[in-house]
Amino acid sequence: MQNLITGLILLIFTISLYVIYFRKDRSKVKKSIEKSKKIFVQNSVRLFAIFLIISLLDKFLSKEAVGNFLLKFSGLKGILLGDIVGAIMMGPIASGYPIAKYLFDHGAEVGLVSAFLLSWVMIGIIAIPVELKELGKKFTITRNILAFFSIIIISLIMEAIL
Amino acid sequence: MKEKYISFLKEYILEIVILLIAIILIIFNPQKAYLGISNAFTTYLNLFLVILSVAFLTGFISEVVPKETIKKIIGKESGWKGILLGAILGTLMVGPAYVFYPFFREMINKGARINVIVTTISAWAIKVPWIPFAITLLGVKYVLFLNSLVFIYAIFSGFIVEYFVIHSKEEKA
Repeated sequence: MQNLITGLILLIFTISLYVIYFRKDRSKVKKSIEKSKKIFVQNSVRLFAIFLIISLLDKFLSKEAVGNFLLKFSGLKGILLGDIVGAIMMGPIASGYPIAKYLFDHGAEVGLVSAFLLSWVMIGIIAIPVELKELGKKFTITRNILAFFSIIIISLIMEAIL
Repeated sequence: MKEKYISFLKEYILEIVILLIAIILIIFNPQKAYLGISNAFTTYLNLFLVILSVAFLTGFISEVVPKETIKKIIGKESGWKGILLGAILGTLMVGPAYVFYPFFREMINKGARINVIVTTISAWAIKVPWIPFAITLLGVKYVLFLNSLVFIYAIFSGFIVEYFVIHSKEEKA
C-alpha cells in the first residue's frame, strides 16, 4: 500500500513535469521519453533479478531459522552477527519488522535486534553490484563500510539507553 | 555481431548468474522456487509505478533539466539546505533505495553534491510511511530512538563518504 501511494505521487509529479515542459520544448521532451524508455527496460531487468534472488532467499531461509540462529548470541558478538545476517538477508522493510518482533519476543537483546534491523535496511549484499555499477567503487565501498560500523555504534547506544 | 554478444554479457552478467541460480533452485525444489518467482513478480508489480516514474524522471533530468538548476538545489553551493533536503527526501521515500541508484547517478552527473546523495541514501533507512506499523510492533520509544540515531548518522555519513570519494581522484563517481 505504501509503495503504491509513493508510486502514485511520484508518477503524478513526473507527468506534471513532462506536461509543463512539453509546451516549452517539444523536441527535448520527445528525446527524454525515448531515453526514459531505454532506462525503464534496463532498470526493470536489473531490479527484477534482484527481486527474484531476494524472494528465493526468503523462501529457502525461514524467518524462524534465521531468528533462532541469532537468538543464540548476545553482547557484542550478537550485534556483529545481527549486522552481518541483516546485510545478507535483504528484503522489504515490511518483513524486517516482524522478524525484529520475533527476536524481541524470544528475549533477544536490544543491541542485536537494532543491528539486525538497521543492516536489513541499510546494507544489502545483493544490491552492491548495482551500487558499484551506478555510483562507483569508492562511493560503494566507503558507504557500505561506514554503514557497517555505524550500525554497531548505533546498536551499542540503543543497548545503553533502552 | 560477436562484439554485441560480449557487451550484452558484460552488461547483464549479474542477472544471468541470478537466472542460473533460479534454474538450479527450481530443479531442487520446484514448489518453493515457484513461490519465490511469483513473489518476485508481486514485488515488481508493487513497485511498478515507482520504477516507471524513476526511469522517466532520470530521462527528464538527463535531457531537459540544465546542470545549473541541479547545482543550485543540491549542488556544492546549496550547503546545509541541500543536505537537509536530501535527508528529508530520503526519510519520506519507501521502496528499496537501489531502485533509485540510476537516478542518483544522473543527479551526480548533473552536478549534485555527493554529500547530498549519500545523506539521502542513508536517511532511506528511516521510512516515515512505515513508522506507524513499526510502532505497533516494536513500541514508540524504540522506534523513535532508533530513527533519531539514524538521522544523525545520515548527516555524518554524507560528509565522511564525500571526503573519501573526493580525495581519491582516480575515479569519477
